[in-house]
Amino acid sequence: MNIRRVNRIDQLAQNVPPARDLWPAIAAAIEVDRAGALAESAPRRTRWLPAAGMAAAVALVTLGVFIGRISTPTPDTVAGLTPVQGEASIMPAALRDANYRKQRDALLVEVNTQLKAMPAAEREKVAASLATLRRSIGEIEAALGRDPANALLQELLVSSCQEEMRALTAVRDSGSQEI
Amino acid sequence: MTEFRNNSRFALWVACALPLAAFAGSDSIDQKVAADATGEVVISNVAGTIDVRGWDRNEVQVTGTLGRGVERVDVVPSNGRTVIKVILPRGSSHDGDADIEVSVPKGSSVEVSAVSADVSSHGVLGTQRLKSVSGEVTADISGNESEVSSVSGDVTVRGDGKPISLRVKSVSGSLDLTNTAGRVDVVTVSGDARVHMGDTSEVRGRTTSGDLQVTGKLTRDGRVDVEGVSGDITLRLSAPGGLSMDIESFSGDIEGCLADKVERVSKYGPGVRLNVRTVEAGARVRAKTLSGDIDICDR
Repeated sequence: MNIRRVNRIDQLAQNVPPARDLWPAIAAAIEVDRAGALAESAPRRTRWLPAAGMAAAVALVTLGVFIGRISTPTPDTVAGLTPVQGEASIMPAALRDANYRKQRDALLVEVNTQLKAMPAAEREKVAASLATLRRSIGEIEAALGRDPANALLQELLVSSCQEEMRALTAVRDSGSQEI
Repeated sequence: MTEFRNNSRFALWVACALPLAAFAGSDSIDQKVAADATGEVVISNVAGTIDVRGWDRNEVQVTGTLGRGVERVDVVPSNGRTVIKVILPRGSSHDGDADIEVSVPKGSSVEVSAVSADVSSHGVLGTQRLKSVSGEVTADISGNESEVSSVSGDVTVRGDGKPISLRVKSVSGSLDLTNTAGRVDVVTVSGDARVHMGDTSEVRGRTTSGDLQVTGKLTRDGRVDVEGVSGDITLRLSAPGGLSMDIESFSGDIEGCLADKVERVSKYGPGVRLNVRTVEAGARVRAKTLSGDIDICDR
């Protein structure tokens, strides 16, 4: 075996070839890194997309509502009311109720006059029927007081009030029946 | 001389009293006028009876007796319309009785108004509108768009099984309808109502405290819609293909052959309901009450 003594560093060989080809392993490592980078970047995009979509949807809905509010006439606009007048938009219901009561009261006056003109037995029978109607309405109203959202009670109240007006009108008109 | 004077006074009294007695007593009427086969006949009478009969002649005939307090009966034909009116003296209260029988062409439309007079009608094929305040009304009804109403009088209507539109209303009188078909609308406050029907496409009923009973057959796509407050409702109905039902009572019960399908509306509150949905069933029944019971069966 030939052994040479080295006293300085520049006496060492400048080119020392590796014992095996290292490139395939390096290339494979680079490829793995690149694939890892790609794999990391893809989930990041999928996480971002739904959030962006939701944001867009919210923005669209907001925009739609905004446009809708601008373009759709409000009840006040439909009624041709100014906002100040619009504050009184609750009034029609109250007015309707007051109008109904007014008409009913007027009808009752005429009905009482008509009842007085009836023979006693008939008067008693008809008055009892009208009292039954009124009592029924009272019962429904009382039940509604305990269960205001009950659709059946609401329906019965409306039809009973209509029925009362029909019966009162029939009794009133019985006096003016063309004879 | 005194005796002569007394006799003269008596004779004078008799002479004055005789016409009055004749006026106060009953009279009769028998009057006939030409009429259209499908014309209109309007009849009014305060008290007594009105009996309308359809016949094959193109004439209107009025016969009957007029009680005390009746001045006369007018029979006035005009442009296909015949008006028959029992006239009471001006300022008279409603106490003049007249019992009249009116024969009309059977295709006529008839309108009758009465206060305490009982009304009956048979054999008329046209539309009838019969109104009475306290008198009873009994009628055979065939004409479409017919209507019978009373305030306290009872009403009995018999149909001929052919489909028509019929409305029957009362406040305190009871209503009895048999052999009706087509569309029937029944309304009463405290009187009971009974409807027995043939092939009926639509029944609407409303009662407050009276009981309502509806029995019979519905057409395949028939509808029954009834409502009561404290009155009980009884339904015995059938239809080709069966029935869908929407039955509900706030505080009453639901009984009958479907009682096992009744459920409570809520766990703690009042109310029961019966909902039956059948895919092939085109006929629908809807019944609602406040406190009245509902007795229903589909067979």
